[in-house]
Amino acid sequence: MLTLALLGTVATPLASAQTTVEFWHSFGDAKRSGWIQARADEYNKSQNAVKVMPSYKGSYNDSLQATILAARQGKAPALVQVFEVGSQLALDSGAFQPVSSVRNVDFGDYIKPVINYYTIGGKVNSLPFNSSSPVLYFNQDLMKKAGLNPKQPPTTFGGLLSACQKIEAAKLNAKCFGMSLNGWFIEQWMAQQGAPLLNNANGRQGRATATNLDSRAAKNIFTFFKTMQDRGYYTYTGKLQDWDGSDAIFTNQKAVFHITSTADIGNIRDAAKKAGFGVGVGVLPIADGTKRNGVVIGGASLWISKGVSKAQAEGALDFALYMTNTQNMADWHKLTGYYPVRQSSIELLRKQGWFTQTPLQLVAFNQLTRTVPGAATAGGLNGAAIQTRKIMEEGVQKVLAGQNVDAALKETKTRADAALAEYNANFK
Amino acid sequence: MLSPARSRPAPDDAGSAVFRGRALPWAFLLPSLLILAVFIYLPALQTLRLAAYRANVILGTEQFVGLANFAELLSSPAYRQVALQTLVFTVLTVTFGLLLSLGLAWLARRPVRGASTYRLLLIYPYALSPAIAGTLWLFLFNPEIGLVNQLLGELFGVRPRWLDTPALAFGLVTLAAIWKGLAYNIVFYLASIQNLPRDVMEAAEIDGATPAQVFWRVAFPLLSPITFFLVFTNIIAALFDSFALTDILTRGGPYTGNAGVTTFLVYQLYQDGFVNFRTGAAAAQAVMMLALVAFVTWMQFRVGERRVHYGS
Repeated sequence: MLTLALLGTVATPLASAQTTVEFWHSFGDAKRSGWIQARADEYNKSQNAVKVMPSYKGSYNDSLQATILAARQGKAPALVQVFEVGSQLALDSGAFQPVSSVRNVDFGDYIKPVINYYTIGGKVNSLPFNSSSPVLYFNQDLMKKAGLNPKQPPTTFGGLLSACQKIEAAKLNAKCFGMSLNGWFIEQWMAQQGAPLLNNANGRQGRATATNLDSRAAKNIFTFFKTMQDRGYYTYTGKLQDWDGSDAIFTNQKAVFHITSTADIGNIRDAAKKAGFGVGVGVLPIADGTKRNGVVIGGASLWISKGVSKAQAEGALDFALYMTNTQNMADWHKLTGYYPVRQSSIELLRKQGWFTQTPLQLVAFNQLTRTVPGAATAGGLNGAAIQTRKIMEEGVQKVLAGQNVDAALKETKTRADAALAEYNANFK
Repeated sequence: MLSPARSRPAPDDAGSAVFRGRALPWAFLLPSLLILAVFIYLPALQTLRLAAYRANVILGTEQFVGLANFAELLSSPAYRQVALQTLVFTVLTVTFGLLLSLGLAWLARRPVRGASTYRLLLIYPYALSPAIAGTLWLFLFNPEIGLVNQLLGELFGVRPRWLDTPALAFGLVTLAAIWKGLAYNIVFYLASIQNLPRDVMEAAEIDGATPAQVFWRVAFPLLSPITFFLVFTNIIAALFDSFALTDILTRGGPYTGNAGVTTFLVYQLYQDGFVNFRTGAAAAQAVMMLALVAFVTWMQFRVGERRVHYGS
């Protein structure tokens, strides 16, 4: 009995000396989850105070839900990867604390549009991690066949349409344009036109209560789809948010132009090489006659739970900062195509000659770093964002099926606003 | 499956098979009851309670709204469209699924060369998970690069848009569900057909019945117990197992009228409960589906008593 008690007293200080930090993420693939595990191993070896244990917890949706349920039982993981569209929901859940309140951190090195997205109410709420934005991909070989110059890809809707005319005339046995139908792009095109998607400064000055889908900017976007469809230039698999399906159409050379996330640059480049065509990357084409305001960041960020000890919260932040340091973010970018979220990482990559080796990436960077800061490009915050995103996709789908733009926009706005109202009713 | 339990030799001491007292049987039942209570009864009661609230599982908010969730569902054009779609889908998959599998099982019963290979090929889709089946179909029916449209394009110069033409998408999901359920039904039909009483069949043939008459007048009625069993398992499968297939193949789309044309009750419930986190609304839908299943079960017993012949 006595020995047991003695053992206990000896063992306890040892065990409590090390703080464990659970890190739940949503990367199921070996490439990315392996990278995270490797960073955790390095970090754990570098010191003895904190032990980080990363684990894959399913999709962003599943992992958010699992975190909340764990938090209710007082077993929250200290560090969680939350997708950008779930930001308001995660904030409202009350299960997390702003990273800037854990410890003073200098966020000056983070790329502006990235840190702006995750700054809510003046506080940096979560630490940027995997970040991306949409760009135009084009098949250089098919463009040449149609008499187009791959050095000058279209940068506006009008430019894309006239390129499509040439492609149609060239009878290439390929459609002109083949992006997947995803509300994310609609959000991006609103930001590009400097138009907030939601009222109350994109839901950043107060809870968003209405969408801005009756605006000129929204009409430009829906009309673009209508024109593309009416002229037979556009194709997609028919399923909403079918990223893979549209990538496959592009890499099988059945579409000359494609729009998708910068995170796919690596995969598409490899697939194009295999299929034997040259791929180019250009800025996201925007509505004619509008100023280019830039893009909203997509992807996910790292959140720190509220219900954990101070040591755990600090350990979580410390690891998160290590994982997203200059060198690691440059590595992460090379591996995945996600933006490195720090200016210093971009500098490092430039010094290493990365942009001359892979000029495709440069366009994506410039598009992001030249983004004009403001409410529109900070991105919309709304707790029903998963739902409103799908509602916008369904609105476009109706336009593609022949409904007129005004009627489709009206219906979409009514449905999206109802979703906002229903979400907001949770707080009455 | 539905054959009566094998008769056992009578126990030596009839008294030993009966528990003495009341406590002992309950004690033996207790472990099962506990597990059922934790995993089935309590969650079911929770769902019933949540259906009366506006709730969001992420926010942890709950506001009592009484029957408002149900009123909203019943008056919502979207939910009514989803319910109607589910009905049509269920009727189509059950009817055609059973007719087709009965026909195939009838053919596969014959002692032709390579019969076991045919049977194996008929049964293998059952081993595919719905997720893999859905992905296969998605590849096949990609409008630009799918095998089906490549063939149709070469042969007839048409390339239908399978996944966003409402009628085609609905037909495709129905067809995929029928195909996916075929194997399960064939296994049961094959087993039953092979167990049909030979003397009755032979008697019919000797009396000069045509093959069609043998099938419809003799075999079909004799198969009614298994058909009856399959009708109800297929209804339940159409209501619940359609989920993975629609999620992967169409994501419930394309959006037509007030809802996605391949959004069925269970998919709507999933969307509201686990994607949009409208927990109260999803609980109300779960209660409605529970009522539906209760009704189907009640029908099963009612019809079963009247129409099905289990033999002597």
